[in-house]
Amino acid sequence: MSKYAPRKAQLAREFLEKPTPLKGAQADREWWEMPVDFHDGNWCFPGKPETLKEIGFPNPRKWAATDEDWQLPDGWQKIIHDGLKERLKKFRSLKLYLDACVRCGACADKCHFFLGSGDPKNMPVIRAELLRSVYRNDFPMVEKILKGFSGSRKLTAEVIKEWHSYFYQCTECRRCSVFCPLGIDTAEITMVARELLNLIGVNNNWILAPVANCNRTGNHLGIEPHTFVQNIMSLVDDIEELTGITVNPTFNRKGAEILFITPSGDVFGDPGVYTMMGYLLLFHHIGLDYTISTYASEGGNFGLFTTNDMMKKLNAKMYHEAERLKVKWILGGECGHMWRVVHQYMATMNGPADFLEEPVSPITGTKFTNAAATKMVHIAEFTADLIKHGKLKLDPTRNNHLRTTFHDSCNVSRGMGMLEEPRFVLNAVCNSFNEMPENTIREKTFCCGSGSGINAEEFMEMRMRGGFPRANAVRTVKKQHQVNALVTICAIDRATLPPLMRYWNPGVAVYGLHELVGNALVMEGETPRTEDLRENPMAIADEGEDDDA
Amino acid sequence: MKSNWQQIIGERKNAILEQWLQSALALFPEKMASGTPTGEALLEGMSMVLDNFDGNQESCGEGINCIARIFAVQPFRPSVALSLFPLLGELIGEKAPASADTEVLKARINAITFEAFDRFLENREKIYQLKVEETRSQLHMLLRSTVS
Repeated sequence: MSKYAPRKAQLAREFLEKPTPLKGAQADREWWEMPVDFHDGNWCFPGKPETLKEIGFPNPRKWAATDEDWQLPDGWQKIIHDGLKERLKKFRSLKLYLDACVRCGACADKCHFFLGSGDPKNMPVIRAELLRSVYRNDFPMVEKILKGFSGSRKLTAEVIKEWHSYFYQCTECRRCSVFCPLGIDTAEITMVARELLNLIGVNNNWILAPVANCNRTGNHLGIEPHTFVQNIMSLVDDIEELTGITVNPTFNRKGAEILFITPSGDVFGDPGVYTMMGYLLLFHHIGLDYTISTYASEGGNFGLFTTNDMMKKLNAKMYHEAERLKVKWILGGECGHMWRVVHQYMATMNGPADFLEEPVSPITGTKFTNAAATKMVHIAEFTADLIKHGKLKLDPTRNNHLRTTFHDSCNVSRGMGMLEEPRFVLNAVCNSFNEMPENTIREKTFCCGSGSGINAEEFMEMRMRGGFPRANAVRTVKKQHQVNALVTICAIDRATLPPLMRYWNPGVAVYGLHELVGNALVMEGETPRTEDLRENPMAIADEGEDDDA
Repeated sequence: MKSNWQQIIGERKNAILEQWLQSALALFPEKMASGTPTGEALLEGMSMVLDNFDGNQESCGEGINCIARIFAVQPFRPSVALSLFPLLGELIGEKAPASADTEVLKARINAITFEAFDRFLENREKIYQLKVEETRSQLHMLLRSTVS
């Protein structure tokens, strides 16, 4: 038996007395009696008033989570009550999730925030209970009669503070839902709770500022079209210096076969820009007829972390631009939540995209029938298909200086079931790929700890706690296989994993998959390659090093 | 005398380790479970400290850093987190034979506590460094064109 299995006597005692998630100083209290505490490092700055005004969100004001009075609007209880009522009607899944949970606790120890903080309110079952307890108090008739027995409670300002704290300690990664025997998706409960909080102006600036930027200029960073082009062209110069090859991306070109959309982090951030260089090399290598839009200049969609309506609005530009440019289909870059929106919501939200064609690779002829509804193909799938058909000239020894492992991004692995394609590509472009422990990868992957718009600098301590389970798994392969490269296919990961690694695993750098593709591609007419896309020396001479997991 | 303490600890390692770990886990809100990644990492760090208590200083330091790094991002006061090290002295002292030289033990525990203090602060500083670096990397292209 496992050394961690509870003792028989402990089980009997807990059954006879009362099961409780509280085991320490608060063991004689109910979970909702635990006080909410805001201090440096555990809360994100709220949205600025001017940002809220710009996007028409309610209750713009200056406030902070540490304030006693949060300046909630008059009648805020009714706003929340009516908001919940409306959403229960609109989203049947929400009603199902609120009613169906039997509090079995299978999800309890699956959340990275619970594992990293030990805070019981970070057990997904209790996080959902934060909302469910209010729902029970106000909605189902039987529960109303059984008040006090059903774990119901009144909606107070303290409850709002608790919601703000814990629904922003959930990254909507859905690891808990993998283990739920009833299939409850706690992420959807978090999404609705955040919507409700936004109705009364309880929000997060790290989410709302990108939303406002995206609403105004088309991308989260607020880059205007000429700067967007300028940045990509400066990457073109870098490519030319490193490889001697001049790639020729086009912008807003009508009649191109494919519209390429990627997160703006790939155009502006480090290390995302190296992934962008990888895309540009790949497209040049295969002679792809593509264009990049300066209007649909963002793949990501922080609307997902605010409200359903905002997500829909920000997403719409993809189809509008595809229609305007008269392309045949859309190719999407490496991103996490972008793909949750595209894969799970876009077709019904803003479709049908009947002005586009079912995607067919112009190089291999492969029909991407899985993208028949959205008309949008994931770059990892596209590249895997190219490699499978032998269309790329690759030299994996160019990545011999990297001993890699792969982090499955939550939204891509659990959200769209893409598990094999990135591994297939990675195996083709490098010689050292080492899997992390089995219960930390694929659909059981641990989140980076900073997704869903909580990668704010002021939240760093909490992020380090939430990311610890992922970092710990990387540490295992670092020790076993001397891994120095954590490869991922998500722009948020490329932003959040570097600090996580610098804190927990110094010496492990973060790479996008297509950065490694760009390193390995042998371009026609290239100058001899001695440096990778980061201008680090390649270890081309190291051959025969192959310890794939 | 030094080697005696390593031997004394070695003979009682499991009991000391278990009590020390439980005390560390009890610092978390409502007690962290030992089977979690945090529990496992603490166990590994603590084990390294005990195995190299009076021996390999580098390995002992690595164990101390492993513990300090975990606590530096937790919401406890530094004094609470660092109290674990004097506590270790008490746990070892309780289990040691009466004839053992406790002055040597005290001196070693003091040294370990001071080292833990340094490591704790280094990790706190790292957090602030990361905040700055993160802002810079988000503006990578902008800074590149304006600075270079």
